[in-house]
Amino acid sequence: MARNPIRGNVAIAGVGSTTYERDSGRTDLALGLEAAVRAIEDAGIDRQSIDGICGSGRDTFSEGQANYLAVQGALGIDETTWVLNAWLGCAFVYAVEAVASGLADTVLVVQTSMRGVTMSRSAVSDPFRVRAGKQGVQGAQSSGPLSPDPAQRWIHSGEPYAAWMGRYLAEFGATKEVFGRLAINNRSHASRNPAAAMRTPITMEDYLSSRPIWEPMQMLDMDVPVDCGEALIITTAERASDLKRPPVYVNAASLGGTRIGEHYEQGIAWDKLAPWAAMNGLWKRTDLTAGDMDIVFPYDGFTINAIGWIEAAGYCGSGEATDLLSESWDDTEQILRLGGHTLVSTNGGSLSHGRAGGSNYYAEAVRQLRGSEGERQVPGAGAALVGVGSFYHDPAAAILTSQP
Amino acid sequence: MSSDLALRDRAFARFEDVWLTQDNIAHYEGLLEQQLLINRCSNCGNWVYPHRPLCPECLSWELVPTPVSGRGHVYMFTLIRQGRRIEEGTYDPPRVVAAIELEEQAGLRYLSTVTGMTPGEVVVGMPVQISWSDAPADPYPSFVAVPADGE
Repeated sequence: MARNPIRGNVAIAGVGSTTYERDSGRTDLALGLEAAVRAIEDAGIDRQSIDGICGSGRDTFSEGQANYLAVQGALGIDETTWVLNAWLGCAFVYAVEAVASGLADTVLVVQTSMRGVTMSRSAVSDPFRVRAGKQGVQGAQSSGPLSPDPAQRWIHSGEPYAAWMGRYLAEFGATKEVFGRLAINNRSHASRNPAAAMRTPITMEDYLSSRPIWEPMQMLDMDVPVDCGEALIITTAERASDLKRPPVYVNAASLGGTRIGEHYEQGIAWDKLAPWAAMNGLWKRTDLTAGDMDIVFPYDGFTINAIGWIEAAGYCGSGEATDLLSESWDDTEQILRLGGHTLVSTNGGSLSHGRAGGSNYYAEAVRQLRGSEGERQVPGAGAALVGVGSFYHDPAAAILTSQP
Repeated sequence: MSSDLALRDRAFARFEDVWLTQDNIAHYEGLLEQQLLINRCSNCGNWVYPHRPLCPECLSWELVPTPVSGRGHVYMFTLIRQGRRIEEGTYDPPRVVAAIELEEQAGLRYLSTVTGMTPGEVVVGMPVQISWSDAPADPYPSFVAVPADGE
């Protein structure tokens, strides 16, 4: 067992979300601030008690995003002792680390996601975004930043995932249906979630006939671009127990680095990708098992990501998701129950709730573990597993629980 | 590693959109001369790609740009149906992007394209060999199927 100073000491005290819209007409800063204000209200804290902020973005300034400099200024928070910008699953873990280490007692995490000009027709025609792209604002350009060595000519960051999907099909003798089950599961949950961007149920025929984008990847393998913001208040377990909402505890967390580095085609093997590194680290820090989870949130930027995270989490062996998902299929509800129990992406995931870099999984996990979701409530939800991040960078795995 | 300033300047000019550094310049100079150069560790023989300055196996700095045979197999690929949406509102035509695993070393993969066949004929694992364009404006190699007789 590895050290785990997080366990029993860190909890989530507040959660706030915006609507998920295809064309909000708002800035990511506005969306991030709305989520932040909602989370602060939800936790019932004075905003001046926030002494740490994790903003949205990948560097200190992160122009065009809800970065910590902009968020702290806009919220009028006088002083902080810990700040950072991050994205994908890592943002949550960094904030948890800050509380566990004592660099901050109460951290606000703000994550925003906007329809990008490489993935959304409406974003391409948005005059503000077109102008920002010409001005070189991060996230607004029609192509990514210079790669260290673009002999690797993946044009979009998604293409290596499409190639891995093809490799998965060939190496393990799988068919597209394994990915289709995941897409249908997520849409079935989204159809019951009023907050989801895509709520019309889909069939396997719909999935298999969706438009090819980067073969073998099709439209319904890809998450849905939206404008949205999510925020969490993370604090000590002791302080959370005095606040107005039931605390949700962080049982364990792990990041995950591999020797693949920034060259996506260099992954040594399928089960050496980053989700495995993060999950291997997680299970060394907890007594809980994959089967103990009531809900799992495998990152589904693309369906191939989710298959990787499910396998990495240990619900089945490497390359064995076809059998697992077939055996786990509830044909009446058109959803998955892994091992007959664990539900998958009850909010609809990135594929159908919306593209939020996985920040929405933490929000959904908190709400379900509080038991506050009414008709959508997962009965007796006590533990949730989140696995978020790229095959190559910024992966994180975390277990949240309703009891310390 | 770059001793020929004229060649370096040609690489700077031709690969305008590539972030060229002291660590990768030899590779691009090689492309201009239709040579696929990959760094090889002269201490332990390990091939080091992408072009980083240190051998990850033995931590030697003695990396030498070295020609590879140009033979390998398709490790994975995607057929890009929908390319980058550019401001005029059109898409790039469909094309194959493939990670070619070079025969010199397991896991040594070079990102390129597969030509000389319809995209639907490309399969994971197929043997390929390097092919250089006759057009001087296109310095990037592609890979083509190895003929049935093996040569």
